[in-house]
Amino acid sequence: MRPELARLYLESQGDIELARVAGEVDASNVDALSERLLEAVSNQARALVLDLRETSYIDSSGISLIFDAAARLRNRRQELRLVVTPRSFVGEVLAAVSMDQSVAIDPALDDALRAVGSGDPAS
Amino acid sequence: MTPEQTNQEESPHVAAEDVIRLEDVQRVTESALAYLDLDDLLKELLDRVTDMLDADTAAVLLVEEGGRTLAARAAKGLEEEVERGFRLPVGRGFAGRVAFTQEPVVIEEVGKSPIQPVNPLFAEKGVRSLLGVPLLVEGEVIGVLHVGSLTHREFNERDIELLQLVANRVALSIERSRLMVQGRIAATLQRSLLPRQLPQIPGLRMAGRYLPAADESAVGGDWYDVIDLGNQCLGFVIGDVAGHGMAAATFMGQLRSAIRAYALDTDGPAAVVTKLAEFSDRMHSRMATVIYATLNLTTWEARIARAGHPYPLLIHADGKAEFLDETGGPPIGTVGGKRYEEEVVTLSAGETLLLYTDGLIERRGQQLSDGESVLLDVASSAPDEPELKCQAIISQLTEDTTILDDIAILAVQTVGLDELLEVAMPAAPAQLMTSRHLIRRWVEANSGTDDDCAAFAIAVSEACANAIEHAYGPRDETIHLQATLREGVATVTIRDSGEWREPRGGNRGRGIPIMREFMDEVSVEPGPQGTTVSLSRRLREGG
Repeated sequence: MRPELARLYLESQGDIELARVAGEVDASNVDALSERLLEAVSNQARALVLDLRETSYIDSSGISLIFDAAARLRNRRQELRLVVTPRSFVGEVLAAVSMDQSVAIDPALDDALRAVGSGDPAS
Repeated sequence: MTPEQTNQEESPHVAAEDVIRLEDVQRVTESALAYLDLDDLLKELLDRVTDMLDADTAAVLLVEEGGRTLAARAAKGLEEEVERGFRLPVGRGFAGRVAFTQEPVVIEEVGKSPIQPVNPLFAEKGVRSLLGVPLLVEGEVIGVLHVGSLTHREFNERDIELLQLVANRVALSIERSRLMVQGRIAATLQRSLLPRQLPQIPGLRMAGRYLPAADESAVGGDWYDVIDLGNQCLGFVIGDVAGHGMAAATFMGQLRSAIRAYALDTDGPAAVVTKLAEFSDRMHSRMATVIYATLNLTTWEARIARAGHPYPLLIHADGKAEFLDETGGPPIGTVGGKRYEEEVVTLSAGETLLLYTDGLIERRGQQLSDGESVLLDVASSAPDEPELKCQAIISQLTEDTTILDDIAILAVQTVGLDELLEVAMPAAPAQLMTSRHLIRRWVEANSGTDDDCAAFAIAVSEACANAIEHAYGPRDETIHLQATLREGVATVTIRDSGEWREPRGGNRGRGIPIMREFMDEVSVEPGPQGTTVSLSRRLREGG
């Protein structure tokens, strides 16, 4: 009846943290999302895989969250990879800001998990 | 004895003494006294009664604490009685005995009478003889009026009759003043519990009205409320507590708070109303009817739970109206353990959900269904704009009649999605989702493709986010959004009243590139009155 704008599902696969965001991300919920996301990544984790395939909307505040997270993780020598369905709305928004030049983007979850640590800049 | 019965001026055999007394009677019953407030009136009457009866002291004591105590309210010659807050139990002492027996009591000589006054003032002042009569309203004692003499005196039947006459006048004034004060408090309480301002929601137009009954003491327990539930959901309440006056207004306040608490904590109107009914049962309080409805601001789905309340009215964009009478349960506070159900209706563009209390459709000597069919007719022809609609409905339904019961009315309307769309919204992040879903709806209604919808959704949301960021400061800022369609090109302008600021920080300032990516044209016009962002795109199927 009173749906959350976005839901965050967290899961650990070995030393990889998996975060799945379902719903819409905008200025009204981005701070709460960012906080929970960064808390989820422990110092022991090697990488964070952010799965945006169920994210139906993202705006510039969500984009900033991703850039911020990428910078922080880089400082901690941790990796960030995104999973985004090609030609989806979120894919288009990420393309509009040339996200792929800063953060690795994979079309499927398996690709992302396999690529962690390989240093591959993603497909 | 009433003044009318005593007033026998026509009689040719009136004794001289009686004539004087008739003048006295007029002195205490003259209508000019009605304009004094209670304290001045009591003072004036005590002056006149001591004068008339040639007494030295006079006092009014009123019953308090559910009839157990008498408290001094006004005095002459015994002013300290009021200042010291003198009280005595009903049944004790002199005044207590008058209240207890509800009969006149005479003490010819204090100290020699079996009735011992407990008020030490009588002794201090040297009061020797006393006469007291009860203040009666509809057979109930509400207080005592007494006079005293510092010299020995035998009060006679005429004295008693005259004092009782004054007592009746005093009792009437006290009762009227009490009712007026209570009515005023109830009306104030009532008004303080109504929303001062309805929330501003992009895509919705709302109006709420409350009309008190013509008689102030009949002000009662009608109320309406709009609750921001967060997460793109709004709650609407209309309710009517049985009865009038303070008790009804107080219970209304309790129900209003309870429903607000349940609404934020409970999913769905049916569950909220079920809990409200349980709350009411536990309070063993009066009966009430209520409607609680929620509206999803992105889908415009309304869920309505109704407890004994008149049917909500759905007025379509073309003016045709229908009652939503699919589900409903008994009023709360009647049958215990009742579970309520929901009626679900998805509003289309330009539709109005009208909630009202029965004061709107009830007429003395008429069937409720008569009032309902009049409402259907009136609602169909009323103006579209919610404020004007409510006004027209109220004035047509209350024409040629005194408003016997209070009336509450709440209209919630979805905007029309014509070629021109204009909405105002508060500059708050919580409005972003509602605004982009509204613009998505508008593009879709004007034959845009899914891509067009998505493009405008993000561009408008970005522009609104910028406007919200500009609208910092203590004022409540409003953002104005206008969408127009001309020759296949949709244009949305977003106007704020803040100052344009260059995007800050390395990660900020992505809003404009995103707008440009999805729009054919983007312009930003900073001005002294605020910034206007204009977004245009040819609709891919619209041309």
